[in-house]
This record gives sequence, C-alpha cells and structure tokens, in this order.
Amino acid sequence: MIAPVGYALVAFVVVAAVATALLRDVLAAIILFTAYSLGMALLYTLLLAPGVGLTEAVIGAGVTTILLLLTIAKTVRPTDGAALERPDPRAAVACGALALVFGLTLPGLPAVGDPDSPVVAYERVTGYYLSQSYADTGVENTVTAVLAAYRGFDTFGEATVVFAAGVAAMVVLRQEVFT
Amino acid sequence: MSDAAGRDAERGPYTESEVIMSTVRVVTPFVLTFGLFVTFHGADSPGGGFQGGALVGTVVLMLAFAFGIDPTRRWLGRRAVTVVACLGVVAFAAVGLGAVALGGGFLEYTAYEALPLHDPVKLGIEAVEVGGIGLIVGGVIAGLFFLTAAGPAADDADAGGDAE
Repeated sequence: MIAPVGYALVAFVVVAAVATALLRDVLAAIILFTAYSLGMALLYTLLLAPGVGLTEAVIGAGVTTILLLLTIAKTVRPTDGAALERPDPRAAVACGALALVFGLTLPGLPAVGDPDSPVVAYERVTGYYLSQSYADTGVENTVTAVLAAYRGFDTFGEATVVFAAGVAAMVVLRQEVFT
Repeated sequence: MSDAAGRDAERGPYTESEVIMSTVRVVTPFVLTFGLFVTFHGADSPGGGFQGGALVGTVVLMLAFAFGIDPTRRWLGRRAVTVVACLGVVAFAAVGLGAVALGGGFLEYTAYEALPLHDPVKLGIEAVEVGGIGLIVGGVIAGLFFLTAAGPAADDADAGGDAE
C-alpha cells in the first residue's frame, strides 16, 4: 500500500521540481514550488518523520510561498511570450551529474525502518537515546529529548541563529523593529 | 501585458478579497489551536517549539494576507513582534544560566531538582521549547514577513515598486 503512494509522491515531487526550474513565469514557478514542498512534506510523513514533515509543510509550503509572493509583488512580469526558460547546458549537466551521484548512493542505504540498519543496531549513542531518554528526561518524544536536553547547547545556538537571521534582515533593510 | 504588469506594481502586494477573508476567518482559529497544541505537546508527540512557533507565526501571515498588511501591523503595535523574538532568546538563556546559578552546567536541567518543582527536567525542556524556541521562531517568521512587505527604509527606497 505504502510503496505505490511513495513512488507516486516521488514522481510528483520530481516533476514539480523540474517544472519550477524551467517555468519562466515567476508566479507559476512559486506555485509549483509550493506543490513540491507539499509533496516533500507528505513524503517525510510517509517515511515516519512527522516532525520534519510538519516543518516542511509550514516553512516550505507556507511561509516561503508568502515571502516569495510578497517579493514578486514588487517586480514586473517578463513581457516576452516564452513559457519555458531555456536551460543553460552547463548548469543542466552539473545538476544531472549531482543527481546521478546521489542516485548511485541510494542502493547503499538501509531500508526504511530496518532494525539491522547501522544507526539502530550498532550505534551506541542512538541506542542509548532510544532506551534511556524517557528515564533521563521524562519526555516521550525522543527527538525533543535529544534537541532540548542532550543537545540543548546546540539548540540554543540554532535558535540564536534564527534570531540573528531576523536581525540581519533588519540591518539589510535598515529597519529598527520587525513591524 | 505590460499594462497589467504596471498596475500590479502600483497596486502593492495586498488585494481585498471576500473569498480569502472568509476562508481565513474560518481557518485561523484551527491553525492557532493546532500551533499551540504542537508547541505545548511537543514533548510527548511529534512537533515542538520550532514547528509550533512557525504555525503560530503563520497565523499572523494569514491575517495580514486576508485583511491587509498595514492594518495587521497597526493591530500588533510597533514593537510587539520584536519584543516576542527577543524574549525568546532571553528566556532560553535564562533557563540555561539558571541551571548554572544552581550549581549545574549550562542547560543542565537536573540542577533544578534543588527547587521544589514536580519533574524539573521535563519542565526545563518545556520552558526551552515553548518560551525559547517557540517565541523566537514565531516572532522571527512574523518579523521577516513584515520586513519583506515594508522593504528598505524610506531613505534609500527607489521611487517605483513600493506602494507604501
């Protein structure tokens, strides 16, 4: 049941990504990019990573789309009639080579949910988190336990980077407050 | 085509639409509730401060999308979004430094066991997720939206494009 849905989603995501790169109309490209993000969010959820899926849905499909729409509202549309961008052959070769290299690594990866995959079976850190995080922290979501407790200092840095990104946008636009 | 493009640029990013306003009016309470649930329940189910804070920040974006960016900006007040994001950083640092003050390491929640709290480690994690990450992400997302809408400050903005 899951495999056909997964393959359909992968096909949808690939088509949306290629169309986003090729379409000349920016509004259409943004809408297709939103569809791509939505497909990725569903894929992550299908692969049992609901937290990542939630993030992709909110940030990728939601916030990014609105920020991009706001940005193109300040621009004008291209006036010539061509619907598709003519891809730069060197860029196309580079993208194809990258996709090929990533694709070649796929058979080496363990299956999703494989109990014998190295991360679960041999990795002492992961095993410790999975078996001890509830006893150590009283938190049922192991991801939250790792992010906020075991790696709390990292997360403090990451949250501060998000804040710094907002401040950087303020500096670039010479505003003193967000609103 | 060039006429339409010119009008698009002069009109600015906001279009008043009864369909969008009605949809947002219906959907917003559910998105806000879901965002708060994901934030506060992140310790025991998928989600957490980042996803929940982003969802709550999205509520502001939806309101501005439907009812206009400037009215939403005025409704929020001049400093609210900035204060929320700053409070998040201060709260996260305070939880970390509080553990140091009680004799532990930075963000070592077990140090809070010195206080008469029920389950201090879980409380510390919740404080960081909700009061730290959630506030930072929600504030910065709403802030980036308003910044992008406002564009560069008036002294170097070019004459075209920005209708505000």
